[in-house]
Amino acid sequence: MSAQSQPQFPPVDLAATEAILARYAAEPKHLISVLQDLQLHYRYLPREALERVGAALGVPLAKVYGVATFYKAFSLTPRGEKILRVCTGTACHIRGAPLILSELQSRLKIAAGETTPDLRFSLEAVNCVGACALAPVVMENDTAHGNLSVTKVRRLVRSGAAGSRGRGSAELPRPDDSPAKKAEESEES
Amino acid sequence: MSEVNLGDAPFTMTIDGKRVEARPGEMVLAAAKRAGIAIPTLCEHKAVESFGSCRLCMVEVTKAAWKGWKGLMTACLYPAAPDLIIETQSERVLHVRRNVLDLLLARCPDSTLIQRLAAEHGVQQTSFSVREQPDLCILCGLCVRICESAATSAISTVKRGHHREIGTPWGGPPPACIGCLACAHVCPTGHITFEEHGATRAIWGRSFELQRCAECGAPLPITVEQASFLVERQALDASYFSRCESCQRRATAQTFGRLARWQKLGLTQEPDARQEGGKR
Repeated sequence: MSAQSQPQFPPVDLAATEAILARYAAEPKHLISVLQDLQLHYRYLPREALERVGAALGVPLAKVYGVATFYKAFSLTPRGEKILRVCTGTACHIRGAPLILSELQSRLKIAAGETTPDLRFSLEAVNCVGACALAPVVMENDTAHGNLSVTKVRRLVRSGAAGSRGRGSAELPRPDDSPAKKAEESEES
Repeated sequence: MSEVNLGDAPFTMTIDGKRVEARPGEMVLAAAKRAGIAIPTLCEHKAVESFGSCRLCMVEVTKAAWKGWKGLMTACLYPAAPDLIIETQSERVLHVRRNVLDLLLARCPDSTLIQRLAAEHGVQQTSFSVREQPDLCILCGLCVRICESAATSAISTVKRGHHREIGTPWGGPPPACIGCLACAHVCPTGHITFEEHGATRAIWGRSFELQRCAECGAPLPITVEQASFLVERQALDASYFSRCESCQRRATAQTFGRLARWQKLGLTQEPDARQEGGKR
């Protein structure tokens, strides 16, 4: 299965799983909430954590696995610190999304849907992110980078690689005051 | 709904022009089956609740009061009700059925069951493009449902959309499986396979030892895990699965023999059982 093809599974600290489980009553109905919290913390759903969750909430492991594989918001393999979502919607496609995607793929040496072995980047090709005026767009976690060119994308990768160095926490960086974010906000209003 | 349901009182409805008796709470499919009216279905099984996933049992449903409006419903999930008028062979029903079989044939071109059903409905080959690397699974979910109700929920549907499949956690041997073969037994197309050699049974990538007769050592048709699961779930005596059928029969015969001897001696109880405090 695809889980085995991923290079790295960092050791899992189950204390975080226990802390997340402590937030909810031990009932099957809280499964998805718990999984969302786990995904946020670990940036994927580790098998050890899911086994613990199934036992704690009284949900058979097969069902937990079924739910975890059903929703796109969950990943069973470690995701990168920065998830780059390349918009391949119509507007972005016309304005060069395929070039952007292939540049990112060759820079990061991974295909869309994969994660770099050092867990810095995950690359995804997504459909419309709803910012067509900024085309071509790449989402870096929750931040939109618009009007991209191949050069700008290179810079994005370089800054991401530098910025994440030495950062051990699972917290997602959120540069809320980046120009692209502002542009996105003005777009919405 | 103006009908008054009189508790458990049976009522009548019409299926293909025949008056058919139905009971409150039962589905159209069950009532039809009892009346000898065949509706094709793949995902229905009496051991589990109806699920409506194969879409093969679609029928046309109407009532005199509905002014000619007819709905296409899955017979397995549509509750029987007084004065329903059901058609199982109308042109619209047959059209839908052919479409469903056409799609199933594109999914499982190698399934002899699907081939036969499709041919019976005049679908000789699918009009859709056949799936790459097809298997026999029609994704009816019957195996998952039987595993949940009769066993341990060891398997589930995984992923979604056209990646959806029946699977085990992380694709490996399912830890909760007890090797009972319920999934393989109910699978309509024979997608789920297992192997049995001597006292070993293999399914879902796991290998199980069969329970052995405590007296003659012959393997019983259930696994060790299945035996302990059933003992616990049905609150059976721990020795319930300890003997094979012929040893059990011999033991029973011996008991009867002993009973006959005591009766000749005028005893009503086994002498040592009386000492233990009158067990039986």
